[in-house]
Amino acid sequence: MIPFSYSVRSLAVRKATTIATASGIALVVFVLAASMMLRAGIKKTMAMSGKPDNAIVLRMGSDAELGSVIDESSVPLILAAPGVKADERGQPLGTSEIVVVGAMEKLGASGVTNVSIRGVGDDVTRFRPEVHVIEGRPPRPGTDEAMVGSRIRGRIRGVDLEQSFDLKKNRPVKVVGVFDAGGAAYESEVWVDRDLLRQAYGRQGIVSSVRVRLDSATKFDTFRAGVENDKRLGLQAMRESTFYEKQSEGAAIFVGALGTVVSVFFAIGAMIGAMITMYAAVANRQREIGTLRALGFSRTSVLVAFLLEAVLLAVVGGAVGALASTAMAFVHPSMVNPASWSEIVFSFDPTPQVLAFALVFAGGMGLLGGLFPAARAANTSPLKAIRG
Amino acid sequence: MTLGGLALRNLARNRFRVVLTSLGVAIAIVAFLLLRTVIWAWASGAEFAAKDRVVTRHKVTFVMSLPKRYVEDVRNAPHVKAVTWASWFGGKDPKHDREFFAALAVDAATYFSVYDEMKVPPEQMDTWKHDRQGAIVGDVLAKKMGWKVGDKVILESGIYPGDWQFNVDAIYDATARSVDRSTFVFHWDYINDALAPERRDSVGWIVSRVDEPGRVADIGVELDRLFEDRDTPTLSQDERSFNASFLAMFSSILKAMDVMSAVILVIMMLILGNTIAMGVRERTSEYGVLLAIGFLPRHIVLWIVGESLALGVLGGVLGIALAWPIINLGFGRFVEENMGGFFPYFRLETANMLLGLSLAALLGAGASMLPAWQASKLRVVDAVRRVA
Repeated sequence: MIPFSYSVRSLAVRKATTIATASGIALVVFVLAASMMLRAGIKKTMAMSGKPDNAIVLRMGSDAELGSVIDESSVPLILAAPGVKADERGQPLGTSEIVVVGAMEKLGASGVTNVSIRGVGDDVTRFRPEVHVIEGRPPRPGTDEAMVGSRIRGRIRGVDLEQSFDLKKNRPVKVVGVFDAGGAAYESEVWVDRDLLRQAYGRQGIVSSVRVRLDSATKFDTFRAGVENDKRLGLQAMRESTFYEKQSEGAAIFVGALGTVVSVFFAIGAMIGAMITMYAAVANRQREIGTLRALGFSRTSVLVAFLLEAVLLAVVGGAVGALASTAMAFVHPSMVNPASWSEIVFSFDPTPQVLAFALVFAGGMGLLGGLFPAARAANTSPLKAIRG
Repeated sequence: MTLGGLALRNLARNRFRVVLTSLGVAIAIVAFLLLRTVIWAWASGAEFAAKDRVVTRHKVTFVMSLPKRYVEDVRNAPHVKAVTWASWFGGKDPKHDREFFAALAVDAATYFSVYDEMKVPPEQMDTWKHDRQGAIVGDVLAKKMGWKVGDKVILESGIYPGDWQFNVDAIYDATARSVDRSTFVFHWDYINDALAPERRDSVGWIVSRVDEPGRVADIGVELDRLFEDRDTPTLSQDERSFNASFLAMFSSILKAMDVMSAVILVIMMLILGNTIAMGVRERTSEYGVLLAIGFLPRHIVLWIVGESLALGVLGGVLGIALAWPIINLGFGRFVEENMGGFFPYFRLETANMLLGLSLAALLGAGASMLPAWQASKLRVVDAVRRVA
C-alpha cells in the first residue's frame, strides 16, 4: 500500500489550493451544521416545554392558546375529570391561564413584534416547579407586577428588570423578576397576574387553556374521554408534549427544508470544487503516478491513496466548518412563531449527532468529488506517464 | 489575434476543467438566485402594496377587535374616500385540515371597491352579493382544493365555534402581484348574525382609501387621534408599513438568508479562484517566455483577469439558464399554491437575473486578482526555470 503520509504530504505541498478547496467545504458544512443545530434547538425548546404527564385543554378546533376561549365555569369540571393527579393536600394539580399577545417595540431592530403575555394564577410555580426566579423576586399576586422570561428580557422595550411596559393605555406594569424555565418556551413570555390581564384586555370570565398533571402518562386517554365526552363544553384535550410539537412543527419544517435545499446546492458546488482540485492534482502528478505504478503499486492502492487525499481534504474543511458552527451556540435569534403569532427566542443546539453528521457529510463530499479523479489516476498507464 | 482573444483561447486549453468550473459557478448562481427570489418575493408584499390604503386595527394586539361603530367615524373623517372592514375567521376545511389559507369575513357592499385589484366576474359578484352564505375564493386556492363555482363548502374555525356552510359563488383573480390568490372571502353579516349578542358588532380591522396618497401617514395619525380617548385605542398604518411591520417579525430569517446568499458567493469565488490559480501555476514558464519576448506584466494580468471574467460570465449564464426553469416552472408554482399567503408571487425577476450575472462576472474578475498579481511580479529567469 502507498503510505498514508503520501496523501497527507500531497495536500500540504499545494497549500493555496488545499486551503481554497477546504474553505469552500468548511462554509458548506458550517451552513449545514448551523441549520441542523437550529432545528435541534427548536425541538429541544419544545420538548422542554411539553411534559408527557401533563395535559392541556383548549377549545375544540383551536391549535393554539391564543385563539382558545374557555368559560371559567368549565375549569372546575376539567380539574375534576378522571386521571388528574392530586397534590399532598388533596387538591387537583392544574392551572388555568389566559394568553394574549401584545404589540411591543423591539430593541435594536426597527418595528414592533408580538409578545406572548400569560396571565397566571398565584399557584403557578406549584404546577411548574421548573420555573425559578433567577433575578429580582416573584410578583405579588393581585398587583400590577410582572416577571419576564430570561430569553425575552432586554429584547423588548420595557421588558427587563426594574422597567415597565404598558399593558393598556395608562396601565403600566412593573417588571420585578426574571425567571428561568429550564429552556422551555415560557422563557420567551411575559407573566402577569391573571385577573390583571383579563381586566386590561376585557376578557373577564374566560381563560385560554387549562393544564393538568395526570396520575401518569398512561392516564391520558381516560382524562381525554372525561373532558371531551361532554359535548356541551366543546373542549379538546391534548398531551402537552403533542401540543408543543405541533407548535414548533411549522418552524422546524421550514428551517429543515430551507437548510436542506440550501445545503444540497452548496454541497454540489463544493463537491465540484473538490473535483477540480483533485483532477488538477492527478494531472500535475502524471509522472509521479506512473512511477508509483512502475514500482509495483497496484491500481487499487493508487485509487485508495487519491481517494484518501480527497476525503482528508474534505474532512479537514468539514472539521473547521463544524467547529466554527459551534460558535452559533452563543447566538440567540428570535422570530415570530407562525403557530402562536408571538415572538420566540431560539437557540442553536450543537448536539454530538449534528457534528458527527456534518463530518460524515464532508467526508461524503470528498469521496464523491474524489472518485472520478482517483479513478483516472488509477488508470494511468505507467509507460505513457513516465514518457510524458 | 487580439490580447482579449488570447485570453478566451486560453479557456479552451483545459476544456474539462472549464466545464466543471462553470458548472460549479452555475450551481452557486442557482442557489443564490433561489435565496434572492425568496427574499424578494417576501418583501414584494410591501413593495407592491397599495399606497392609498390605510389599515386601522387595535393598538395593543391584533387578537382583539374594534367596535363596528368605529367604521362610521372613519368614514366621516377628512380625506377618506371609501371604507370597508373585515374580520379574521381562521377557517380550515376539516377534510384538508393541514391546508392553511386566509378566510376573511368582509362587508359585502364595500370590500371589493376598496380592494379593486381583486377581480371578480360581474355576474358572479351579483350572485354573491345576494347570497348570505356565499363565498368568493381565490383562483389558486380553488384549484388546490378542487372547488368550483356552485360547490358547497364546510369550514371550521378556531375563533367561531361550529361548522359553517358556504356556497362558492365566485372566483377572483388578481391584477396586482401583492394580492394573495388563496383567500376565502365571505359575508361578515353571516357570522355576525349567528353570534351571541355580546360578541356581535365587532370588526377585526378597518380599511380606508384616502384621496391623498402622499399624506397617508398623517391621515393615519389623524384617524388614531379620533379614537385616542375612546375605550379602544387604534393603530393606523398605510398598507406598505403594515406589510413591512409584518415582515419585520421574520427579520431574522431574512437576515439568515442574506448571510447564506453571501456565503454561496464566497464559495463560488473560491472555486473560480482556485481554477484560475491552477491555470496560472501550470503556465508559469509560458509567461516567462512571453515576458522574455517583450510582453509586459500588464498583458499577463489582462489575460488572467479576462479569462476569469469570461469564466464567471459563462457560469453565470449557465446558472440563469438552469435557475429559470427551476424557479419559474418548478419551485415557484409549488410555493404560490402552498404558501400564497407569504409569497403571492414567486418568480425569477429580471433584476435578480442581472444581479446574479453581474456578480458572477465581478467575482470572476475579483477571484483572479491574487493569481494575476502574483504572475505580474514574476521575474523572467524564475519563470522560465520553474518546473510546473
